Amino acid sequence: MPDSKLERRTILDPAVASLLNDMEHRQSDAALPRRQREKKARERAKMRARREQRVTFDLPPSLRAQVMDLAESERLPASQLVTLALARFFQDLAAGSLELAPFKKPSRSPRYDWNLELPEELLPLEVKKPAKRKA
Amino acid sequence: MKIFALANQKGGVGKTTTAVTIADGLARRGQKTLLVDLDPQGHTAFALGLKKAPGLYRLICQGEPLYKVVQSARLNLDILPGDKQTEKVKRQITLSDFRESILLDILKDTDYQVVVLDLAPSFDVLHVNGLVASDWVLIPTRLDALAVDGVKEILMTMAEVARRGHAFQGFSILPTFFDRTTRETLVQFKEIVNTFGTRVWPPIPQDTRVREASAYGKTLWEYSPESPAVAGYIEGKLRLGGYRQIIDRILEVINA
Repeated sequence: MPDSKLERRTILDPAVASLLNDMEHRQSDAALPRRQREKKARERAKMRARREQRVTFDLPPSLRAQVMDLAESERLPASQLVTLALARFFQDLAAGSLELAPFKKPSRSPRYDWNLELPEELLPLEVKKPAKRKA
Repeated sequence: MKIFALANQKGGVGKTTTAVTIADGLARRGQKTLLVDLDPQGHTAFALGLKKAPGLYRLICQGEPLYKVVQSARLNLDILPGDKQTEKVKRQITLSDFRESILLDILKDTDYQVVVLDLAPSFDVLHVNGLVASDWVLIPTRLDALAVDGVKEILMTMAEVARRGHAFQGFSILPTFFDRTTRETLVQFKEIVNTFGTRVWPPIPQDTRVREASAYGKTLWEYSPESPAVAGYIEGKLRLGGYRQIIDRILEVINA
């Protein structure tokens, strides 16, 4: 077993590695037939466009499971479900029908003043899986 | 103080443009910088919109103090200009004692934070003086076989200088005139990356605005700060290559 403290050394400047990788992709694409080349270009453009929409947050595992289960049972993309949920959340917050104050507890973190502590009825530790839709 | 030499024994690889651009770039980041023209062509002054002048000649042959022969080129940036009289400097140095460290002896007591030396594409006593004075050598190269051969030549010269007792802190290779659409660029780029690894810095994209800037006597930071040569290639949120990234790398060297 390798020592877990060992770190793989970077052998290239990150910008150089990224550029080289990109150029190699372009060159291998150049050898493809026109239709495949166009398809790859479209895929790459799609991936690039999606980069702006990507975000990483930590979620409690139960909530994550709820999102994934609902997405699967409704046969919807999980990202769109989360978009709907967040859009509704901001709407409720703006309308005053939802307040953060009851959940706010002082934080000891030097970075944040508050933590949100959610009651168990709102955020159960384990979630019942929704029944799978029959085809 | 850190002294950077721009060197490649092949001409036309972007040494002077790179010297002027990084000198002004460092000055703009608050580093008190001196740009020294060791090339008898005297193009560093021209690129900054100043007249060629025998600054190096007056300093070394006529013994005038440095502060009298430097010119203020921009905020935080002074230049020690050169012209064809720089040829006479070579003859004077050749006849001097301790001839290889004359430039270092002059520069080491100055109060500049950074000195950038623009070396001529020739192998002579002034070239050796530039290398002996430098802490870090930046080697601009086009990605063609002749220029890459020039990299090999300068590295052999550096090895010779190091054998005589000078300790370089390091060197970097800077691909210039980079055109990522050609197969030859990729082949040569892979070759130098495989050979030199992290010593290869992000490349400077080919950019017509570089030529336009020097024609107007402006630096790239003044003439076209968002051009590809300064800002690099855009890959989503990333910027790859360009002089702005090179200034970051140089500041890492300075602050190391």
